[in-house]
Amino acid sequence: MARTSSGIQNQSGDLDVTHDLPTSNRTYNNVTMDDVTSRVDAVAKVTGRAKYGIDQIAGPTPLVAGFARCPWGKAELTGGSLEAAMNIPGVVHAEWTGEDIGRECQYHGQPVAVVVAESVSAMRAGRLALGLTWDRRDCDHDIESAQPEPPALSEEQVEAINNALENADFVVDAVYSTAVQTHSCLESHGATVHHQGERAVVYGSTQSNYGFRDGLGSALGLPVGSIDMHCEYVGGGFGSKLGPGKEGVYAARMSKQFGKPVWLFCDRDEEHLDTGNRPSSRQHYKLGIKTDGTVTGGHILTCGGVGVGGGGGGVCGHRYNFGSVIRKHVDVSFSGGGPKAMRAPGHPQGMFAVELAMDELAAVAGIDPLELRRMHDPSAFRKGMYARGAELIGWSNRKPNGSQAGPIKVGYGMGICDWGNFKVPAQAEVVIHRDGSVEARSGTQDMGQGQRTVMGVVAAHHLGVPLSVVQAKVGSTEYPPGPASGGSMTTTNTEPAMRVAATEAKKQLLARVAEQQQLDADDLAIVDGNVVNGSGKAIANWRQACAMLTGPITAPGSVGRSDPTLRGQGNSEGVQFVKVAVDCETGVVRVLDIVAIHACGIPVCRKTAESQIIGGVIQGISFALFENKLLDRQTGAMVNANFEQYKIAGADDMPRITPIIWVDPDATGTRGLGEPPTIPTSGAIACAVFNAIGAPVRSSPITPDRVLQAVTDAQAPKGGDA
Amino acid sequence: MSHSDLLMKTEMAMPRTLKQACEVQSNGLHDKNDIPGMPLPVLKAAGIDLMDHWKEGLTAPGQVSNLLALRDPSLHRLSADSIGALCTLSAIADSTAVRKSAPVIAQAAESTATPQIRNVATAGGNLFQRPRCWYYRAHQFDCLKKGGHMCFAVEGENRYHAVFGNGPCHIVHPSNLANALSVCQAEVLVVSSAQGTEEPRRVPMHQLFCLPEDRLKSEHTLGPDEIAVGISYRAAPHSAHYEVREKQSFDWPLVMASVALDMRDDGRTIAAARVCAGGVAPIPWRMPQVERALAGINVKDTQRVRQACDLAIRGAQPMSNNAYKLRILPVAVSRAVRLAVG
Repeated sequence: MARTSSGIQNQSGDLDVTHDLPTSNRTYNNVTMDDVTSRVDAVAKVTGRAKYGIDQIAGPTPLVAGFARCPWGKAELTGGSLEAAMNIPGVVHAEWTGEDIGRECQYHGQPVAVVVAESVSAMRAGRLALGLTWDRRDCDHDIESAQPEPPALSEEQVEAINNALENADFVVDAVYSTAVQTHSCLESHGATVHHQGERAVVYGSTQSNYGFRDGLGSALGLPVGSIDMHCEYVGGGFGSKLGPGKEGVYAARMSKQFGKPVWLFCDRDEEHLDTGNRPSSRQHYKLGIKTDGTVTGGHILTCGGVGVGGGGGGVCGHRYNFGSVIRKHVDVSFSGGGPKAMRAPGHPQGMFAVELAMDELAAVAGIDPLELRRMHDPSAFRKGMYARGAELIGWSNRKPNGSQAGPIKVGYGMGICDWGNFKVPAQAEVVIHRDGSVEARSGTQDMGQGQRTVMGVVAAHHLGVPLSVVQAKVGSTEYPPGPASGGSMTTTNTEPAMRVAATEAKKQLLARVAEQQQLDADDLAIVDGNVVNGSGKAIANWRQACAMLTGPITAPGSVGRSDPTLRGQGNSEGVQFVKVAVDCETGVVRVLDIVAIHACGIPVCRKTAESQIIGGVIQGISFALFENKLLDRQTGAMVNANFEQYKIAGADDMPRITPIIWVDPDATGTRGLGEPPTIPTSGAIACAVFNAIGAPVRSSPITPDRVLQAVTDAQAPKGGDA
Repeated sequence: MSHSDLLMKTEMAMPRTLKQACEVQSNGLHDKNDIPGMPLPVLKAAGIDLMDHWKEGLTAPGQVSNLLALRDPSLHRLSADSIGALCTLSAIADSTAVRKSAPVIAQAAESTATPQIRNVATAGGNLFQRPRCWYYRAHQFDCLKKGGHMCFAVEGENRYHAVFGNGPCHIVHPSNLANALSVCQAEVLVVSSAQGTEEPRRVPMHQLFCLPEDRLKSEHTLGPDEIAVGISYRAAPHSAHYEVREKQSFDWPLVMASVALDMRDDGRTIAAARVCAGGVAPIPWRMPQVERALAGINVKDTQRVRQACDLAIRGAQPMSNNAYKLRILPVAVSRAVRLAVG
């Protein structure tokens, strides 16, 4: 079968994507926007030279620890023997993680025992030798089977809803749902911990180097200042690696107990089962609209499917002005692993429903969905993006819903996002050595976003030297505390701290040069790595200048929670436009084109920023079309806890993705870009599928069976208002 | 499998000749009397499916016979009517001879898995890989194939399971190569110690695989001492393979159809048709009713072609969550017919 070629392109023939981009090496405020800087650690990453936490072995050959887990949705542990496990050669220890025999486990993947051994195979053999037996119980496996009570509405609320709907000419009454998505980090969760008595060395996989360390203090029985935490590279976190987790805690406890390094990393199935997820949702919308496009309000009643998590299932769908809306949310428990924050927690599932509801409202009122959004989007800034995105995707080619002949129908959709500007204290330091080398250090981490590159670009720019001079260093508690990589705040918080450090380092270097050369430091500057005087004459090149130092300069940079002079203000906003082709005979959806326009204040490095957008879009495509943590309706066991049957978008599923960084001329400083690009994608795809078929697919993933059902619905004779 | 199996050593034989491989397969690596009850070696080609089983704890063989060590050049030979058992899927997909002689085979090979897998996966391994049913593949489900007493798919998650075949196990056959070979009247060549290596036994495709009602723990009819060494097939210049998948990268088809047409001299009328559907039954599922209906039809008569293809679902018994396959199946067949006409 012939394959269509597809791939990620940002400079494609008929799309002029450079139109709104700044020209090469143009400087905005205090940072350089350039077209040429590639990831400084790209080669290390693709050649395997970069060592991730899972690759690290602290000191001597570590002991290997692993969990034995409940294989069913709900089951009582009826038998098992720690002694049998410890009789396996190479097994040094086995213990229950909580109650022993008789314990009732509440989800597939719940740990019941931990086994420590001298090798991976001995640990696995020991785990089997436990001989766990289970009495399986009936359980709820999703929101539907848990049959949540409808939310209680007061009389006033019912009246408000009825008033809103009565004022409308049309009503959209629809239930939207989204499936559980797992983080699917390529590097699994875990740590190698070496307790050495007075101190401990930890190699973890984390998106919060300092947070991980601080979470291990009590497990190690050490003041956190005695723990050296390292996390040089992270193979994905997406929100699930903010703390040490049970993997880190048990590695620490076992290392303390045995005084040896302990390596504990999850297998792929454990990743799907027990390291968090984006919870499922069910969202009941009832909204009224007038023929003139006024949305009169109604209700949005939502459920989050949080498994045993107890909470964290909120859906965030507040963006358009929907009039007077009563909102209620409940989290629904069932026998499944609990959620953890996942890339814009609550937002993709919320906007899946919001955007599709918007298009359904537009359809009943006979208004173009782009026009309806212009009427109800409160952001004037975002509306500037609408015209450009519509032009690039070819919105004028959009046909009325379900109006095309032939089996393959093309559809267009769009979605929006915004994201807060979260500020936390952050520190950094710049070290200038006498040999001219420069270190830009922060104890934050790089989970893939390009943090070394961003820090290096900022330090080089403010020192006035080429990036090649600067070694950016992250992922160690030897460096000053940097922010956690959650809430899209790594760059926004390290950039000002690094700017202060580099500026201070430069000041100290120039002071030394001035002292040595008997010049006035205020007259000196550094341009392209050369120290120049007021008339632009070179006093010394970089090496010569640094050789004048009597010792290294270590300049700290620090930024507090609020510091309006240093920090960027305002939120990150974005708009995405999508074009899909739906095969109405097979139900297969192919995404053809995505134009993703995002503003992030002043971007530091174009390539890594575009890469964030592309990554978010890909995760959104995958959420819209494929991903589904599927728990067996009979046993509650996850049936697809692998990368074969848990489906994630692959290379041949990629559309042409056009990332556009929308530069606001009035922006100051940086804003987050990690999370917002994954918010609008799935909703925009759902809208495009609706446009193509003529009936909505209200549940993600939008799989062929659901598409075929919608095709049938679209062909059925219409009744009622809609 | 018990815990001691995991710590048990696995021995691997590296046979250089087919004769050696046959001896290993009938006697094991040691004299049979050394270790009474020791099962015969597991045959390994690229080892992809074997490692999947091993990692999930579904198998831990004491002995493996690594067929990749074989030096016999016929195992790698590709021609207009034969495929060596150790030919990679990439080699098959890239072979001009195969593509000209039977495009359906090259297309099926090309649509499998990923480039990385196709570069190592072999024709023989692809035919004899075990089913991908998620209940079979997960250790905690004691299903029929694993000697248990129930098929968990019946009351469980069966969206990817069979709509034909009558159970009691509802797997779908995983090999798309087998599907394509089935419409090329292929035969699998089999050797063994008893048979000898000079005159392989020829097993037609329709006798190679068996339904769960006939045999539960295996999907094929070969004996434990037999080794497939190659495939012979007949030219099918008017043939095509069409898959409908959720994902375009690395996914198993929901439904696939292989079609080979013999055309009359007028170039428009179908003289005879061979149609096989996959993703729908425990074995490659030939569709004689569609084949008969297609015979004599002018391929330009799209309505009659479509009517013939609509017969594809006759006799289907969908499960609780896979009736959607019945909508896709006639479409896949008719698209394969259209592609086969060229």
